[in-house]
Formats: sequence, C-alpha cells, structure tokens
Amino acid sequence: MCDVADRRLSVRIQQRSPIPLDLDFTCDPGDVLAIFGPSGSGKSTILRSIAGLYRPERATIRADGEMWSDTASKAFAPPHRRAVGMVFQEYALFPHLTALGNVMTALGHRPSAERRSRAEELLRLVHLSDHQDRRPHQLSGGERQRVALARALARAPAVLLLDEPFAAVDRTVRRRLQDEIDELRRTLDIPLLLVTHDFDDVVRLATHLLILDHGRAIASGALADLTSRPDLPWLRDAVGLGSVFEASAVRRDPEHGLLALTFDGGTLLASDRGISAGTKVRVRIAARDVILATSAPDGLSLHNVLPGTVSAVNDDPALDSVVVQIAIEGVRLLAEVTRDAIGRLGIGVGTPLFALIKSVSIEILADFRQI
Amino acid sequence: MLLVATTVVIGAGAGVSAQRPPTVAAAANLNFALAEIANQFKVDRGTSVEVVFGASGTLTRQIQDGAPFELFLAADEEFPNQLAKAGLTRDAGVVYAVGRLVIFAPNGSPLAVDERLNGLARVIKSGKAGRFAIANPDVAPYGKAAESVLRKRGLWDAIRPQLVLGDTIAQAAQFATTGNAIGGLVAYSLVLGPGFAERGKYAVIPESDHRPLRQRMVLLKRAGATATQFYDYLQGETARAILRKHGYGVPQ
Amino acid sequence: MDWTALRVSLWLGAGTIAILLPFGIWLGRLLAVHQFRGKVLVEALVTVPLVLPPTVLGFYLLVMFGARSPLGQAFQSLVGQTLPFSFEGLLLASAIANIPFVVQPIQRGFEAIPSDVRDAAACCGLTPWQRFTRIEIPLAWPGILTAAILAFAHTLGEFGVVLMVGGNLPGETRTLSVAIYDRMQAFDDRSAGVMAATLLVIAVATLMLTTTLSRRVGVRRG
Repeated sequence: MCDVADRRLSVRIQQRSPIPLDLDFTCDPGDVLAIFGPSGSGKSTILRSIAGLYRPERATIRADGEMWSDTASKAFAPPHRRAVGMVFQEYALFPHLTALGNVMTALGHRPSAERRSRAEELLRLVHLSDHQDRRPHQLSGGERQRVALARALARAPAVLLLDEPFAAVDRTVRRRLQDEIDELRRTLDIPLLLVTHDFDDVVRLATHLLILDHGRAIASGALADLTSRPDLPWLRDAVGLGSVFEASAVRRDPEHGLLALTFDGGTLLASDRGISAGTKVRVRIAARDVILATSAPDGLSLHNVLPGTVSAVNDDPALDSVVVQIAIEGVRLLAEVTRDAIGRLGIGVGTPLFALIKSVSIEILADFRQI
Repeated sequence: MLLVATTVVIGAGAGVSAQRPPTVAAAANLNFALAEIANQFKVDRGTSVEVVFGASGTLTRQIQDGAPFELFLAADEEFPNQLAKAGLTRDAGVVYAVGRLVIFAPNGSPLAVDERLNGLARVIKSGKAGRFAIANPDVAPYGKAAESVLRKRGLWDAIRPQLVLGDTIAQAAQFATTGNAIGGLVAYSLVLGPGFAERGKYAVIPESDHRPLRQRMVLLKRAGATATQFYDYLQGETARAILRKHGYGVPQ
Repeated sequence: MDWTALRVSLWLGAGTIAILLPFGIWLGRLLAVHQFRGKVLVEALVTVPLVLPPTVLGFYLLVMFGARSPLGQAFQSLVGQTLPFSFEGLLLASAIANIPFVVQPIQRGFEAIPSDVRDAAACCGLTPWQRFTRIEIPLAWPGILTAAILAFAHTLGEFGVVLMVGGNLPGETRTLSVAIYDRMQAFDDRSAGVMAATLLVIAVATLMLTTTLSRRVGVRRG
C-alpha cells in the first residue's frame, strides 16, 4: 500500500495564453477538491491538463506516485497511460455501444475473461444493472451520468475528475447523484476533483475548495476554513457567506419537529427532516441568519444560543454590513450585522458574545449513510 | 482493402498482357470499310485486330503521347509524315486509299444537294440556313477538305457562323443526319454505310474542288507480326475490293 | 452491350476506391480533428478537382506523363509503356478527380464525432490506434461508406478525362461511358442505348443507396 504522499495529486500549472493560468495545489486521497469559479476561468482546462488532454505552457503534475507531466524535463504521459477517471460535462458516452459496452471499454487493463463481470459489478454499484444493454440514446440524463461514472471508475483510477457533472441534470436527480458520489468517494480513497460553477455542489460534496478567477486561485483550503473566513468578498458576492461544517444527528424529536445535532461547537437543534439518529450530516448556517447578543436572552422563540468569542471582524467600507467571525469551541461561525450594531455592542476581537440561530435556519446539506 | 487493391493491380496488369490483339488506329471515315476488312481478315487469316476510330489529328497526338497503337490509317498524308519524321514509325508507309467528299442533306431539309453547292448557296441567300456540319479542320483532313471546298465556292465566310464542327468526320456525319442540321460535308464512305440511303440525299463533290484525300497508313515502331500482316492484307486485292465498294479510290 | 467496357468501368471504380479510401480516411480524419496552419489551403486543394474541368486534369496528366515528357519517358523505360493510354494511368487520373468525393464525406463523418467522446476514449485507456479502430471508425463509417459509393458512381460516369488520358483502347481504357460515345460515332445507336440505360440504372441505384444510408444513420443515433 503506497503511502499518502505517493497517492497525493499535486498540480502546478502556468501559462499566459490562450487562457491565463497560475495555479499550485494538491489533493490528498479521500479528499474532494472542488474547483469553483465562473465560466471561462479555466476550470475545465485544469481538469483536462491533469487528464493529459491538454498541455499547458508549463506544468508539473504528479499523481499515483508518478510524474504525469513535467515540462521542465519534457516528461509527458499521454491520457491513455494515466490512471485517470474522468466524467465529462456531457457524459461523452460512446453512442454505438451499450452501457455495458461503454464500461467494458475502460477495462482493457483486466484479463478479457473478467471484463464483463467487472463491468456488470460497476453498473450495479451505480444502480444501473437493469439498463446495462441499453444504448446511450435510450437512457435518461441521470442514467447516462451514472454510466459515465461507472466507466470512469472502471479504469481503477488514481485520480477521479468530474467536470460539471450535474450541469445537465435536474434538481431531484442531481441530489441523488451527489449522494451517490459522496458515498463512492468514501470507499475509493483517491483524490477527487470536482469542477463546478454551482456552489450547492461544493457545499454538498467538497472537503476542500479552490476558488478560481481568471486562472488564479483567489482562495484555497479546507471547506470549513474557507466558509468561515469573514473576508472573501468574491464568495460573498457569488453565493453569500455561511459556515459549513460537519455534525452528527443524535436524537430525533418528531413530536416537536426537532432534531438534535452535535458538532465541534456544541449542540444544535434543527428542524426535523426525518433524518435518523446516528447519521453524519453536513450543516450550513448563512451569515445573515446569525444574530449576536452580549447576553443570553430569555423568552425568544429560537432554540440555539451558543456562547463564543469574536475571533475576527471584517469591516469593508464598500459594503453596508460587517462580517464577524465567532469562535465557538472548535468551529468558527460567521455573522453579518449592521455597522451600527458593531458600535452599540462594542464588538471587537476578543469580545465574548452569544450566537443566536433559529432552528429553521440550519441547512442540513448531506445525508450520509451511517458508517 | 489491401486485397482489393492488389486484385485490381493484377487485373489491370492482365489487361495489358500480350494476349490482346494489336490495336489499329484508324481515321473515322473508315468506320464501315475497315470494320468489314477486319472481319474478313479474321475469316481469311484467323487472327484479329482491334480498331479504334478517331480524327487523324487526335490519333496522331495520342501516338506522340505514347498510345500503344501498332498501325495507323490516317485520312491524309501529312499526319503520318509527321510521325515518320519524329521517328515513331517503321517507315514512310503507303497510300492505301483515296477518299471522296459528299454534300449530304437529311430528309426534310430545305437544302438541295448538288455537286457545285448551288443548293447550299441558295439556302444561305434565302436567310433560312440552319446548322451545317463539317469535321473540325484542325484535326480531321476531311474537315480541311470541306473548308477548301466551301472557300472555293465562295461560301466559307457566309456559312461560317452556321458551322457545327464534329470532332471526327463520323461525328460530323451524325450531326448532318440527326435533323438538327440542314446537312453537311461528310465522307463518301460513311454515307454508303448501312442505313444511310434512307436518311437523306447526297451528291459527290468533284475531286478537283479540294486537294486529293490521299489516305496514308504507317506501321508504328512497336508493330508486331499481326499488325504487319494486316498492313500487307490492306494492300491486297480482297481489302481493295472492299475499299472500292465503300467509295474509295485505290492506288495502282 | 459491351461487356469488356463494363468490366473496365467496374475495375476502374473498384480500383479508385481501393486507392482513395485509405488516403481519404487519413486525410479526412486529419482535417476533422486537427487545426494547423495551412488547413484552409489543404481543404481548398481537396475541393479543386470538383471545380476543375476534367479536361484540365487530362491536359496536365498528358503533359506531365506523356511520352514527350521526361517523366513519361522514364516511366516508359521502366515499365515498358506510358502512363497515359494505360489502365494504370486512368486509375491515377480517376483517383485525383475523385479526391473531393472521398475526402469530404469522410471528413464530415469524423467531424460528427464529438471531441469529448474522443477524449473519453483516451481516458478509458485506449491507445490512439484502439481509439481509431474501436471508437472513431464505428462512428464514422456512414461517411466512409458514402465516400465509397459516391466515388464509385462518379468514376463510372467519368468521360472527359478518360477520353483524354486513356484514349479509347478496348479492354484497357474503353470504359462504358466512352463505349457509348464510340458506338454513337459508329452509328450503332442501339448498343449505345443499352449501355446508357445501364449507367442510368446504376446512377439511380447509387442515389437510393446513399439516401437509405443517411436515414439509417439518423435512426441509429436517436
């Protein structure tokens, strides 16, 4: 078993044209790195470079313990010699082959006797067994996406690349696919890169985030860290600020319509959503939904009053509100308040405060299976 | 696909093999006469030749470009002489026949045929002249003769806009008979061919009205035994009789 | 009916396809997949035989390869005959004349393959050759078949260049189309008529084939 450093993906790309790029990042096995940015920022080019479909002016790409690209030493492994699995935006299935045939195409590295059974196994994994003899034009968008996924996995990839995988799919199907991918990545234990312009994907699937604008990384890091930074104007403008962190559902109270969650900052009471106890979930709390108080209030409707200390304040004169970061034990929450409130409550770094959160404001994003 | 390509090349090669009878190039006026002579040759000698008809000028050009003819029967003497001078022939060859020109008018044409072309002059004068066919003077000796006849009668300039030129004298004869033309100046040997009698009327043009259509033939350098045999046969009595039957004069 | 002439015509058609299909697949794919400087020029050159009168092609072939040219004389001393007035010469002329009929449909066939399908094939671990044979050819075959049918039919109908470059040599370069002309010149309209009807039937059959083909492809793709 190779050690983690070997199986890590490390990417360094620099070029001036046709699309300017300047990046340097890594992704460890088991992590999901979401590359987020507007169209034209170069996201797909990055994935294509990692797959070997595109050769940037200067690139050093290391994966699977091998040097896949190194312009300095002129090393370059063509795509068919990289153990890379890629799911394309429009699926790119082979129209003349059945679903089974599509998956079998990627199994060339296996002895021919095993290929069919392995392909069937993979299609079972993505819940598509009963359609395995259909051609792509006979499948729905979500089904095609699953075949594409099975085909990418058939390669036994060292890196999995997803290029806007849910762009062409509707909401309900999208939810299910996101869950399936999340389920998969736990068992796969390889670096997974997800390119998207939809923050919903990021929040639901990513463990790490890289925000891309015109080919440069504006910010990168663990999701929980980035979402609790008060000073990312780009994120604020694009999707709004809100901390994302992991929690566990511990107790359901359907009578009162409540769900108790524990997280690194204590306990939260959220609205009951039918999620059973013992499930790991991902939680997002929008900064606008957090109210700050200097003392614990009485007689209020909300259930969540969390004590903490102000760890950072971001006052951008160009904006009409101020973002406050509060450290609550192991988690940092963001709160967006008026400038006036800052003055009135005397809020500054180190000020002890309470964060007040309504149960209905707690967004529960992913519904993981119990491990 | 490679298999197809190979088969094709082999098949093509087979076409070039020595099994094919020698090819004889002949001026188009010999269309009926030479076909008959070649048939008789087969009956008499047991071997055959393939004949390709065309305009003497065109055939000369092809021979110069390497066409694999073994014997060339021209409609004049100049074209064979050209080839001889270029060293492409065995010798200067012989005159095998003398041709004649006729004026032909298909049934229903307003043109009245006579050897002095008075009928033609009348039609032109009346302003009702339609198309008139001759062979292309540049490549067909019969066309050249037709031109000199028309010039002699003073009709060349008047008829010029109405002329339709055949690639060969045979094509000119076709134009002349199809009814789109009022008539034409064509080879005597052609109008004596099968089916022509019912198609219209003709009058033989006096020999004095044009340079004699002395038709010379030459054996090409590559000529083989059969071609040489045929060359001799053409000078024999059987062939000459056939030529006379088709309206040619034969040299003594 | 001149069966020898029909044989020559069919061999000419088959031979033209045999030569041009590999070439057409190579060039058609190149033009479909790659961008390069001078691509516009190449595409124009491919189209030239379409707009060029066949007589121009015939002229240049005669001038360049006839017995009066150095190339032709060299060829003659090597092979024993000239290129013009031989079946091989006709094949060469026919191949050149049919380049656009072969390259363009094949190019369209390869262009119709989405580029990400090609990329996906690479990401599936297929080598360039495997990509070509297992993914691209199966998807482009309608274009290839159309090219073959069109070139074959067009070859059958060639006349001007055949006459100029081939002469009218029976069994060698007298194709069916030239035989019709030859028979008419010999005042044998009946034979000419039979052969003309044959060519007409072939032409119609070809059109029907290509139309059915394009419809079948449409259905398959869904």
